[in-house]
Amino acid sequence: MRATVASAAVLLVAFALTPRLDAQSQPAAPDNPPDFSGIWDGTTRARPVNSDNVPWTKGKNFPEVNERALAYMKIFDEAIAPKYDCQPATPPAIEYDPYMMEVVQWPDRVLFRYEKDDQLRTVWLDGRKPTALDFSLQGFSVGRYEGNALIVETTNFVFDITGFDDYNGIPSSSQKRVRERYWRDGNDLRVTVTVDDPMFLRKPAEYTTRWIPAPKGSKLSAFNCDPESARAAVKFLPARYK
Amino acid sequence: MTAQRYLSAAAVTVIAALILSAASTLAHHATTAFYDSSKKVEALGKVTKFVFMNPHAYLYIDAPNASGTIVTWQIELGAPISLKRTGWTPETLQVGTELKVVGAPSRAEGTYGMCCARITRPDGSPVVPGGRVTEERQEEKK
Repeated sequence: MRATVASAAVLLVAFALTPRLDAQSQPAAPDNPPDFSGIWDGTTRARPVNSDNVPWTKGKNFPEVNERALAYMKIFDEAIAPKYDCQPATPPAIEYDPYMMEVVQWPDRVLFRYEKDDQLRTVWLDGRKPTALDFSLQGFSVGRYEGNALIVETTNFVFDITGFDDYNGIPSSSQKRVRERYWRDGNDLRVTVTVDDPMFLRKPAEYTTRWIPAPKGSKLSAFNCDPESARAAVKFLPARYK
Repeated sequence: MTAQRYLSAAAVTVIAALILSAASTLAHHATTAFYDSSKKVEALGKVTKFVFMNPHAYLYIDAPNASGTIVTWQIELGAPISLKRTGWTPETLQVGTELKVVGAPSRAEGTYGMCCARITRPDGSPVVPGGRVTEERQEEKK
């Protein structure tokens, strides 16, 4: 009898100490999360167009790259940039592309649909974590609401020779981490994008930008990137390698 | 402002764009590696093709080069997905239309490309009549 009681006690203690994975992995969504839903205009009506000095500005927030990055940048040939074959931009560049974007908020996820290159990013709010099978161009995004902000953390990117931005030939690795903090500022939607990549950056770099509300009735259109049009200007580059 | 009003205003803006600059922002790649913005070239000829596909529309015209030989010029424009919102359509520039195009020449030797071009009729008049309007910022959401 004593042994039975002892066994039961051990079982109770073990049960009590067993991690409750379901409860831990599903944080409660706030009753009234901040409203970021809708179609947002990220064109030149909202902000300067991206370039080799925007949003990463030399002397201000331009990333401090390491020697490995410098070596890649030195040999980089613009003609090899995957965008000339319609490979989409990724964070931290896609957030600054001068096009429209739609945000959809569901209890367990936030969807970012980018008009440029027809990209969809899913930000999971239910506590799930990426597996070793979840590496992709856009990475794996998890998020949470903090007060009036949405925090998005993205990892599990694949190596991208222009994965930092579209203009400076800075690569990004599978260790790239991108943190986004979204909040409303009046009618605007703002974001601070912070990127870290120990393979190529000496320290994290960040920029802040905004979208403005799209005109009433706006809809996203299909981009349907055409590989022939994407590469049509490459012949105008003076050849760097023979 | 409704989308319809926005498009109406934007459509007038594009008319100015057709007069002034076909693609002041390319937004897909840096232009300086491809085109020499410190120079200007002019091509006067007829439209042979207008490709209205993302990420860039391209206008092709047959026109003389500097030595007088007729060549095909490839003029890079903006993204159709954006151009559509300012009134452009695949029919905006019809094959056979005579145009004058002035822009930055392509860098690679032996190529005839142009970007950031001003497109007009041969006499300098607008391709489409109209004038510029200043777009209003959209303050309202949805």
